[in-house]
Amino acid sequence: MTAKQHELLSAFVDGELNSQELDELLALMSTNDNARADYQRYQLSSDVLRGYTNRSQPVDFSARISAALADEPVHQLTAKSGKKASVLTLPDWFWKQTAGLAAAASIGALAVIGVLNQPQTDVTPELAQAAPVETQAVVAASPNRWTVGEQEVEDRLNNYLVDHNEYAGASGLFSYARVVSYGEE
Amino acid sequence: MNADQELVRRVQAGDKKAFDLLIMKYQQRIIHVITGFVHDPVEAMDVAQEAFIKAYRALPGFRGDSAFYTWLYRIAINTSKNYLTAASRRPPVTDVDAMDATIYYDAPELKEFETPESSLMSDELQQAIHQAIQDLPEDTATAIKLREFDGLSYEEIAQAMDCPIGTVRSRIFRAREAIDKQVKAVMGGEEQQ
Repeated sequence: MTAKQHELLSAFVDGELNSQELDELLALMSTNDNARADYQRYQLSSDVLRGYTNRSQPVDFSARISAALADEPVHQLTAKSGKKASVLTLPDWFWKQTAGLAAAASIGALAVIGVLNQPQTDVTPELAQAAPVETQAVVAASPNRWTVGEQEVEDRLNNYLVDHNEYAGASGLFSYARVVSYGEE
Repeated sequence: MNADQELVRRVQAGDKKAFDLLIMKYQQRIIHVITGFVHDPVEAMDVAQEAFIKAYRALPGFRGDSAFYTWLYRIAINTSKNYLTAASRRPPVTDVDAMDATIYYDAPELKEFETPESSLMSDELQQAIHQAIQDLPEDTATAIKLREFDGLSYEEIAQAMDCPIGTVRSRIFRAREAIDKQVKAVMGGEEQQ
């Protein structure tokens, strides 16, 4: 095997291949048993370093699973619209203006409510100021998952949680770890 | 789109071979997760196989709300719990429900197949890998550490080290080659025993 092919295997361990390189990798893996063996060792080293496994030899049962999947129907991509695609797209200026107006209206409303709810004492008007309003950027959609604006951030948070679960399991602290819940069977 | 997302998209579009790569990438981790529940190695392999098959069948419905591994991990845990329930097996404590099996994840009593010899070999492998990293030139060691210990992407490492992404990629590759030499030596030693 060439150094370039080994570099391809290394980059795949890190999930850093583009579409064309994935084509090359698929061709390599389906024709070269050495490539599979070398990749398994790279992956094992990475998994050991990250604490994802404590094995001393790579386990490869991909051939067995592929054989079991031989009779499974091939999936066909349907033209479903994705989650993001279903969101109504409006220009940025619209959201900025709307957000600004909403924030101003909220603060105004709170100020009025604050003044109306003041105890009936001799408070001078200039002391009756509204408290500053803090906005919450992160909203918990359900107890088992979070919703943040950027997919990349959400993925990273999920990775931290899974890593935490796996590490916690290895150190006997699993009872304190939450298991991320997405797309269950 | 990262490599996992691209592979998932290909499987959804009918490329079964792409799923083979996902299996190869995650089989060690999934086996590790499952052996926390199912301590017989043969049964653990069966459960892992079932988990991957379930994942394949469910993949058309995978919306990408989470990373692929997060989703697969959850399937593996559910498959393990279902296996324990179906087999009417319980973790070593008598009044523990299968749902609470996670508490006993990786507990020593569940790792019957981890022999002193295998434990020793595992320690030896870890030491060899860490020693290989210590022996690397500084730039190479920093790149692999940022990748493996801090989980940074190539782009983030390139920013941190102020160098092109291609350099990061080749440094990490050189680190892996050096580590692999040590790994092969350890494995070769094991095979001779």
